[in-house]
Amino acid sequence: MAEQYPIIVLLVLLFGALFVGLAGMADRRVCFPLTMTALVLAVMVSVGILQRVISGGVIRYFVGGWSRPVGIGIELRIDTINALVLLTITTVGLLTALFSFRRVQEDKTEKTPLFYVLYLLLIMGLSGMVITGDAFNLYVLLEVSSLTSYALIAMGKSRRAAVAAFSYIIMGTIGASFYLLGVGYLYLRTGTLNMMEIHQAILALDGPSSTIVVAFVLILVGLMIKMAFFPLFGWLPNAYSYCPSSTSCVVAPLMTKVGVYVMVRMMLTVFGTEWVFENLQYTQWMVGIAVLAILAGSVMALAQVELKKMFCYLIVAEVGYMVGGAWMANHWGMVGTIYHIMGDAFMTLCMFLAAGIFVKQAGVVRIDQLDGMFRKMPWTMAGFVVGALAMIGIPPTCGFFSKLYLIRGGMESGHWGYVMALLISSLVNAVLFFRIFEIAYFGKKPAEGHGHHVDHSEESVIKEARPSALIPLLATAVIIVLLGLFNSNLVELIERSLQGSEVIGTRALSSKGGLG
Amino acid sequence: MKWVGLIAVIFTGGLLLSAMDDFPNWGDAHSPANASPVSQYYIEKTIEDSGVPNMVTAVLADYRGYDTMFETVVVLIAGIAIMAILRVMNGVPGGARPSPAHEIGDQHDIIIGTTCRLLIPVLQLFALYVIAHGHHSPGGGFQGGVILGASFILTAIAKGLDPALERLPEKRYVKLAFVGVVIYSGFGVACLLLGENFLDYGVLQVLLPTIDAAEARSHSMLGVEVGVAFTVSAIMFAIYANLASKGELEGGL
Repeated sequence: MAEQYPIIVLLVLLFGALFVGLAGMADRRVCFPLTMTALVLAVMVSVGILQRVISGGVIRYFVGGWSRPVGIGIELRIDTINALVLLTITTVGLLTALFSFRRVQEDKTEKTPLFYVLYLLLIMGLSGMVITGDAFNLYVLLEVSSLTSYALIAMGKSRRAAVAAFSYIIMGTIGASFYLLGVGYLYLRTGTLNMMEIHQAILALDGPSSTIVVAFVLILVGLMIKMAFFPLFGWLPNAYSYCPSSTSCVVAPLMTKVGVYVMVRMMLTVFGTEWVFENLQYTQWMVGIAVLAILAGSVMALAQVELKKMFCYLIVAEVGYMVGGAWMANHWGMVGTIYHIMGDAFMTLCMFLAAGIFVKQAGVVRIDQLDGMFRKMPWTMAGFVVGALAMIGIPPTCGFFSKLYLIRGGMESGHWGYVMALLISSLVNAVLFFRIFEIAYFGKKPAEGHGHHVDHSEESVIKEARPSALIPLLATAVIIVLLGLFNSNLVELIERSLQGSEVIGTRALSSKGGLG
Repeated sequence: MKWVGLIAVIFTGGLLLSAMDDFPNWGDAHSPANASPVSQYYIEKTIEDSGVPNMVTAVLADYRGYDTMFETVVVLIAGIAIMAILRVMNGVPGGARPSPAHEIGDQHDIIIGTTCRLLIPVLQLFALYVIAHGHHSPGGGFQGGVILGASFILTAIAKGLDPALERLPEKRYVKLAFVGVVIYSGFGVACLLLGENFLDYGVLQVLLPTIDAAEARSHSMLGVEVGVAFTVSAIMFAIYANLASKGELEGGL
């Protein structure tokens, strides 16, 4: 039983979706319990996988039992990095599903079963992408997760949601095609699709191969579109801010983060850090673009008046953090990036859950409408404050520690521009969130109080969110703090999987291989 | 903006071409893809493993059956997504209410009617052949499913959407689409329950009327292809019905 965990985590989600589709059409009331059951089971199995990886090392699971010679079948390969990201995905899925209770039922009653089918398949697709050890299988699951997310975004009520989803489809499809082309080029030169085998074949190549370089560039560009890396982030803000709240709460934290994870996996396992950092001299370029991403995201976040749009541009900046960290060819940079994938997933979830509650309970879309929220919704604001402090990077939240690791990596590898950008971005976040706190705590000055949508009789109606919305938010806040408190344990786990990698494998100060 | 697009296209094309001289030669028997132990294994062992002459089907439904299962899920998602976005639901469970007389259907041309009457059964029979014969000759669940779905679409085009929906109502095609994936993954889960890895069909010999593991593999491939065909044909028709009637499932083109 336990050795079947890797496939079971996907199967509970798949069968959850199938049963929701079959039974939910007849009776819509079963949708929510079935969805929650599937996700609770998935979280439990992910915990089981993590325990097994911690105690027993890398899990290799051969689907269909095709294990010899490696590569004829499909391998699922789980080390501590995927196990942690998998747990993050299923947990975010569970919390958001709880949040979606009532919300979906109120918005589009007849389509509730369809929503939950797509939702569960999205979580399944993302989980599958994370645990697979096969480059083509990753593409298939990328399709699953992309298609479901397009549909979920297009289900938004406003017409702008459909337009945003359409531009996301175009961009997302281009990204996926680039990835597929890259995998095709890799197959051409290595003759296998298994990630470890590709790595062996690349190591065994005599002399430089332009095919492999082109494959890497194609895969990288495809993933850059998927993770909304500067300057390819144009699709993100509209898509994530016009979709239904329960959709944005799962898509915003997970899609871009899984994109970053896949990039890290490509660098670590498929191409190998030695090849990436020493054969290619892209380090300076990629970190440079990451610096631009951080600055652009932060500046554009400053210019936003809508809450969700602001969070969307912060995602762009956060993706810059992670890509920069991964590319600085330094142990701490890579550790910080992987740690930040988890931390940022929960931080973003916290932001979007809070934004969803504001929209729902008070009709708040713009930042200046948050007037007096601390008084009206103290618990919601408490959760939001924890998330905001993490975004700024204040201990003991996870945001502080990921920035600590990333900055340490930047300093050790001499990327001072990146360090500066990170500090500037933190300052911008501080400005952004303390402005919100000010409005929400002290209210607006009378002179500024124009353009009120809510008059005072309605304002008194605004009350605290329902438990089904509040519990996920507060749980997320707790997780953010826990991730921060246990950061050294997590880092130790991440380092376990980095061991043996060239350049970034050890904590040594001399790891400046990428500086070239 | 057009210039930006043009430059991007030229750049991408240049990038793709730049690796050309590093490619293995056309038809080179020693190219990495041909010489790898994986393709050697497929060529040498497929018959031994599963007795399936069509190697492509063996790779698709057995060796890499895990991918194909998710491809089927992708087809399912495409249909569900179109229904989620387009379908107009008025709170009436099941959707379409009986429409006022078959105006279009009643007036249909005798030539079209006769042609369809002759053509559709043949199409459907051929679809079943393609599905069932997939592991011996070109074909399989995807292709057969598309032909089967096309036969329903032909009904809808020739006689109008309503008569087609009478034969394959919304409730039924949605159920069929899900059941298809249930069949596919059910084969995998049966292997799990019998103590082997997911989709390791060989162990199914105790359940299926087969003499050995190889035949069990062959039969299971047929089984999963049937599942694929269910999903593909149902989704084909679902997409047509929703697109043709703007999600109303009435009147149609």
